[in-house]
Amino acid sequence: MYRKQVRRRRAVLALLVIGSFALLTVTYGRGSDGFQRGVSTVFSPVQSVADRALKPARDLVNWFDETFEARGENSRLRNELDVAREQGVGAQAALAENAQLRKLAGLRGSGAIPSGFDEVGARVIARNPSVWFADVTIDAGSGDGVEVKDPVVAAAEDGPGGALVGTVSAVTHRTARVALIADHSSRVTAKVVPSGVQGVIRPEVGDPDDLILDFLDSGRRIGRGTSVVTSGWRSEEIGSRYPPNIPVGEVTEAPIREQEASRQVHVRPYADLRNLDLVLVLTRGSRG
Amino acid sequence: MILTPKILARLAAIVIAAVLLQLDFLSGVTVLGVSPNLLPVAIVALGLLGGTMTGAVAGFSAGILLDSLLIGPLGGASLVLLGVGYLGGLFRERFEIHSSLVVPLLCAALSLVAELGFGAVALVLGLDTAVSTLVVRDMLVNSAFAFLLGWPIYVGLKRALRPALVDDLEARRSRRPTVLGT
Repeated sequence: MYRKQVRRRRAVLALLVIGSFALLTVTYGRGSDGFQRGVSTVFSPVQSVADRALKPARDLVNWFDETFEARGENSRLRNELDVAREQGVGAQAALAENAQLRKLAGLRGSGAIPSGFDEVGARVIARNPSVWFADVTIDAGSGDGVEVKDPVVAAAEDGPGGALVGTVSAVTHRTARVALIADHSSRVTAKVVPSGVQGVIRPEVGDPDDLILDFLDSGRRIGRGTSVVTSGWRSEEIGSRYPPNIPVGEVTEAPIREQEASRQVHVRPYADLRNLDLVLVLTRGSRG
Repeated sequence: MILTPKILARLAAIVIAAVLLQLDFLSGVTVLGVSPNLLPVAIVALGLLGGTMTGAVAGFSAGILLDSLLIGPLGGASLVLLGVGYLGGLFRERFEIHSSLVVPLLCAALSLVAELGFGAVALVLGLDTAVSTLVVRDMLVNSAFAFLLGWPIYVGLKRALRPALVDDLEARRSRRPTVLGT
């Protein structure tokens, strides 16, 4: 009896493992549109409601975390934090969302969105929990005109204007997955402005605040604080389809030794990739 | 675990709620610079309460749902979560939980195993870029969260699944004894 039970358990386990491998093999690179479309149709309204309902709680937890981090900063930030404390968490969330919306609305005027692209506004409704992947799910899909490889931008963390966030990597009717520029699959062809030095931005897995601008021309020096924008060129190896001149980030570390030896500098993205909430998908980019 | 339709419905609700809570809440907050990943903890707790089959099937289902909602390749998360669910269940079937420290420690260890598993899946899917040392920090902090929240999650799930637990001493003690011959 016991042996029979053990055999049955082992059979179920083997079936599940084989099932997982089979699903991985069948769906890798192609997705399983039908199944995932069905699941997202059922769950995306639930997720949208859950995301909105849980936002104040998320903001509260993040507020405590940010407050904890801010303790070590200067008095100006402390005063700002005192003011922020006086504001209610809900009001603060509403203000932040309003500021993000204003920034997003002003992106076209700022020149961050190239001509010939339409913008589709979307909200982030799910985030990959693993440290190994940096992708999010948004509540806009093929029904809204979103296609795979459409670039995605968001309001920059500091200052006005927008910044590159990533690219659409899979799409269902109502939702889409955005592979962030910090995801291990991401490669962005970029240039340093105003010097025009070209390179490729790749992530360092686990640290979304530190990207690496690689393959630089070793003869030209890059200074700290200079801006990096998309360059718009693409090659077969690098599937970057980003239109030119979308701000990506600024150079934070550029030691001459590292530039000479590895031909690379470190870049901090303008967008806050850990706390994305509202984004704009630039449609027609991959077709145009 | 005695699996009745009612208990199966509860298990399904727990798995769905855990995945939605993870994707829509926990992945969006940062505590000590890390977004807590408590999905493996919930799956390990289900394994500890229900045994290998419950853990493995719950892990597999949670993985499928997770991959579907993230529109990723199906199967990767299932493989990892069914593994930790099975290991949690195996512990329950082989050993007694004598100390209240066992569950948090097991949750922390298996949470770390899950993150390593996700790393292995990333490698299989083609990880061809540098890996920051911060990944180690994130995994350890996540493991610490699993340690701290493992016990409350385990107790909460135990309460939710109490009617189905066959060796729940508390439930047995609180039950009125059957008196024969009166």
